[in-house]
Amino acid sequence: MLLTLTRTFQQAIKSFLRYQWLSIATSSVLMLSLYLIGILVLLSFSTTTVLKNIQDKANISVYFKPDVTEPAIMGIKSDLEKDSSIKSVDYVSKEQALEDFKKNNADEPIIIDSLKEIGENPLLASLVIRARDPNEYQRVYDNISQADFSSEASRINYGKNKEVINKLNTLVNSVKKVGAILEILLVFISALIIFNAVRLSIYARRQEIEIMRLVGASNWFIRLPYIFEGIIYGAAATIASMIFLFLTVKSVSPYVSAVAPAADIVGFYLQNFGKLFGLQFLLGAAIGVASSWVAMRKYLRV
Amino acid sequence: MIRFDTVSKIYKGNFPALENINLEIKEGEFVSIIGPSGAGKSTFLKLIYAEEMPTEGEVYFEDMPTSGINRKKLPFYRRNIGTIFQDFKLLPRKTAFENVAFALEVASVPLAEIQEDVPQILEIVGLGDKMEKYPYQLSIGEQQRVSLARALIHRPKVIVADEPTGNLDPTSSWEIVKLLLKINKLGTTIILASHDKYVVDKINKRVIVIENGKITGDYEQGKYKLV
Repeated sequence: MLLTLTRTFQQAIKSFLRYQWLSIATSSVLMLSLYLIGILVLLSFSTTTVLKNIQDKANISVYFKPDVTEPAIMGIKSDLEKDSSIKSVDYVSKEQALEDFKKNNADEPIIIDSLKEIGENPLLASLVIRARDPNEYQRVYDNISQADFSSEASRINYGKNKEVINKLNTLVNSVKKVGAILEILLVFISALIIFNAVRLSIYARRQEIEIMRLVGASNWFIRLPYIFEGIIYGAAATIASMIFLFLTVKSVSPYVSAVAPAADIVGFYLQNFGKLFGLQFLLGAAIGVASSWVAMRKYLRV
Repeated sequence: MIRFDTVSKIYKGNFPALENINLEIKEGEFVSIIGPSGAGKSTFLKLIYAEEMPTEGEVYFEDMPTSGINRKKLPFYRRNIGTIFQDFKLLPRKTAFENVAFALEVASVPLAEIQEDVPQILEIVGLGDKMEKYPYQLSIGEQQRVSLARALIHRPKVIVADEPTGNLDPTSSWEIVKLLLKINKLGTTIILASHDKYVVDKINKRVIVIENGKITGDYEQGKYKLV
């Protein structure tokens, strides 16, 4: 069995090398489809990171009227904290709010000056509420606006990020959809092309196969080279795709970091190298072997 | 050893190749099958090495019907039967040694055994000094001897030869037949399809005449004569 394996594997390598251009062309198409899968994985990683980032910043701010006392607000706070869909409730006092405001507008002397002009602290104390699940915000918001304390609130802020999140979500989803359709198409095309390559390889070796049959070669001996050929296409395509993927990640990374500093795609690539490689190789080999198998069923009479 | 029991073979498109063949070939026999081209000689041989299955009747090899051989067992069945052909069927990119070794490689025979057996067999067919030559470096007769060596490598019980001398000059033809006679003497059954009158007459052993898909003659120690 081991002898059969090594002999047929050698045969597959020989045939892969003998028809270099055919092999390169075939592997390239498979590579393209594996590459696209890699891109899709990376894209989904970076967009989830970006989305998470934005979602973390999302919150509902309840600003209280100036006459509401701090203990009263703390009471509301502890009430809110009982809600299981709320992750956190932070109290921002008037003084804290002023401090933050000053910090955020330190570069704008006019605003700072006008603050001094007013003389007193015009800002309101507030509770900053974060929901556990980003999709819960609407419900939490509705709850708060109908709550008893809503009469004590001067205004309730929500929705700053809502549109951004939704837009990004639709964008990512449509990119994924288009990617998936493209992917299916590419997988199909690569399967066809491997099928054709194996068919040619069977045709080129038809005399050898005839002789093998006549001298009593075991069926596996005749079949295995083509199965190995499929696997070799998968392996070659995976290696090439991983290299191209790395180059892509390297060159795109600065732009991604500019948009989302948290999304380190180079790091993600390196950390998940094994998984990415394995995924691509499995898929590539599966496509290779499957189309080899179909070609054999059709053209190899064993 | 080989028995045809009311065998008919009709190819696709209703082309009858053989009709109602009844015949027995005993172990150790040397049988020449003669007849005009297209008479059904090749089909007769293909039925023996199970490349074709009878449309009707059964072909028995050592009392086992060939129709009972499934695809998995076929390779092992084939190792009982050595085949040689008019066009030799050698691989042009392999040397004489490699061509013969190929038959062992594909049967998962270990390398050490290959290196021992192949030179022996090539010695028997008289090519001991030409093992490293490629087919194009060999004469036609020598090429046929390589293919005979390959047929012998599994030590088959039967050699089936389909017009092995068809491409050869009379001298080389006789060389091949002499080898076949020698192999036959050592106990291997030989079935030779030929329309080489000179060769068949000189063999002077059993002759079976096939014409139009039917057996029209079966002579012990026969001569090549068509009715």
